[in-house]
Amino acid sequence: MADQLVVEHLTKIYERGDILALDDISFSVVKGEFLVVIGLSGSGKSTLLRCINRLIEPTQGKVYFDGVDVTAASGGELRRLRRKMGMIYQQFNLVKRSSVLTNVLAGRLGYVNPWMSAVHRFPREDIEMGLKNLERVGISDQAYTRADNLSGGQQQRVGIARALMQEPELLMADEPVSALDPATSHSVMKYLEQMNQEDGVTVITSLHFLSLARRYGTRILALKDGKIVFEGLPSEIDEARFKEIYGEEAEHVEVR
Amino acid sequence: MSKSVEEMQALRFRVFAFFLDWASWGYIAYGIMYLLNSYWYTNIHYYGRLSVPTWGWPIVILGTLELAAISHAFGHSIGLSMFGLRLVTDSFTPPSLGKRWQRYLAWHVAVLSFPVAIWFSTQKSRLLHDRLTGTRMVLVKQYKDEIPILPPRAWYKTNRGEMSVVLIGVTLWVGALVTQIDLHTMISRVSTSSYLWKELLSPHFTHFITPDPALQQSIVSGMIETIFMALLATAVGAAFALPLSFLGARNIMGFSPLGWVVFTVVRGVFNVVRSIQPLLWGTVFAVWVGFGMFAGVMALGFHTVAALGKLYSEQVEGIDPGPLEAIAATGARRWQVVLYGVVPQVIPSFLAFTLYRWDINVRMATVIALVGGGGLGRIMFYYQSRVGLLPDAWNQVGAVIMTIIVVVWVLDYISGRVREKII
Repeated sequence: MADQLVVEHLTKIYERGDILALDDISFSVVKGEFLVVIGLSGSGKSTLLRCINRLIEPTQGKVYFDGVDVTAASGGELRRLRRKMGMIYQQFNLVKRSSVLTNVLAGRLGYVNPWMSAVHRFPREDIEMGLKNLERVGISDQAYTRADNLSGGQQQRVGIARALMQEPELLMADEPVSALDPATSHSVMKYLEQMNQEDGVTVITSLHFLSLARRYGTRILALKDGKIVFEGLPSEIDEARFKEIYGEEAEHVEVR
Repeated sequence: MSKSVEEMQALRFRVFAFFLDWASWGYIAYGIMYLLNSYWYTNIHYYGRLSVPTWGWPIVILGTLELAAISHAFGHSIGLSMFGLRLVTDSFTPPSLGKRWQRYLAWHVAVLSFPVAIWFSTQKSRLLHDRLTGTRMVLVKQYKDEIPILPPRAWYKTNRGEMSVVLIGVTLWVGALVTQIDLHTMISRVSTSSYLWKELLSPHFTHFITPDPALQQSIVSGMIETIFMALLATAVGAAFALPLSFLGARNIMGFSPLGWVVFTVVRGVFNVVRSIQPLLWGTVFAVWVGFGMFAGVMALGFHTVAALGKLYSEQVEGIDPGPLEAIAATGARRWQVVLYGVVPQVIPSFLAFTLYRWDINVRMATVIALVGGGGLGRIMFYYQSRVGLLPDAWNQVGAVIMTIIVVVWVLDYISGRVREKII
């Protein structure tokens, strides 16, 4: 099968502080994969994900999505590419004072008539789609409450519904469960798994815990100091590899 | 950075620090001269001024130089701490008091023998008095690891702290003389002004509702005018400030060179317009559109655009950037990101600031009457100008002031309640 996402020699240097966040990263993702990126805090996971949809501008290197060069795209072309890439975040990144439904509908902004969106009008189909997606993540009864009245797990599910509105081909999740408790973590991860298996959406997620990565990932990419130190199947990570990724003093922590 | 470059930097800062110390002693000397002169002239010698004879100036200059040398040689002076310099021994411990005296004396040797010392020295970057006493002046940031962490001395025990007290003391004393503060007069004349207080505090509301024939206006109608004036000025100001504030927010504009230019220009205009009093804008608009309430509204509105624009912009800069990132990632346009990500976050504080501004504008509208605006201000200044002609002029002024207080108080209460509700 053809590669859906190809990353070639991606490098990111933050001008402020002269930090090398990503150092010559190359990998590719096949359609339908569930790729988990692991690594310590500051290893470059978030930067990597944000360089793919250019929320952060890479210093060097290329990103191809469905054969289209994302790094060369500009204006409208970049927006159309971003439309196909859903993203969810560690801190959920909802507009707290807006209603849940408004937050979800924001996922359609790349599709709708811009003039209508200027006066907060969305097509009937989009509103129905929003309600359906909220139902899918199990919070349809909260559609008209303010986003900040929801619990952390519920807010992340709003984030998922917003990403679903984009009808994405690729879903990127930046440590989606770091701010959640273990039980809620699994329910959120299950939605990602469901999207991956039922809708055939490619998923790239960064995770802190190796146990979650093993449970959900079909492939694992490990970063350390901005470099890839491991790439392979979850089962291939043994004690030696674990120490290499997380350092000598690391201990196993299970999230059940 | 190489060692020699670091040392040169430290040396350069030492020179700056020394001149700063010298300048602050010079300032104190000048302040003391001013005080002496002032008291000599007013209290001792009622004619003539104290002046320094020609031969006195070298003494003043040398004296301040010596004082600067003392505070510098002992370390912890204002200049040294401002440039982050620290006096230490070769082993980076603070030198003893004896060492500091030695340093002060050695400083004179160094200064007097400067050309010779430079010529014969092998260590050109190390000054003679440093070498003689085995001390050095280092930049704290360059020797963080070597300098031991000691409990800081109490501020009043450092030269820096004592100098600050003297500098502030002299400044305030001179300032009190310049501004002619005179508590004695204020207290001794309480009895002569007491009638004013009595009349202001027993207001006559005779023209509260029935218009004063001379003015053809009642206080109530003036009040309505003032409130409308402030309301219109606030509404017009807010309407212009709202779009401009986004152009004046660093996190919205700071992505392209053009954005930076727009940001800088908008913020610059805000600051210039804001720093000019509404009263001055009033005189400008009185010439432009004629004496009257329209000029008042324009003056207040103009100032409001800048004042609200700055407050709004700061709110926009203080928002949570997370949602913006998320909405940009959905493929939305930049203005859609602003509309869906920024606007909902800033609406409550925008409303709160606008209400607060209305409150301020009511108070300002009364002063604007001096250059043309109508309303309560006009009535107040009219009665004030009739003092001595009308028997109850001050009582009438009192009535207007009471009305202003009540209006401002009510508006403040309302805006407070509304703010509570929407945040």
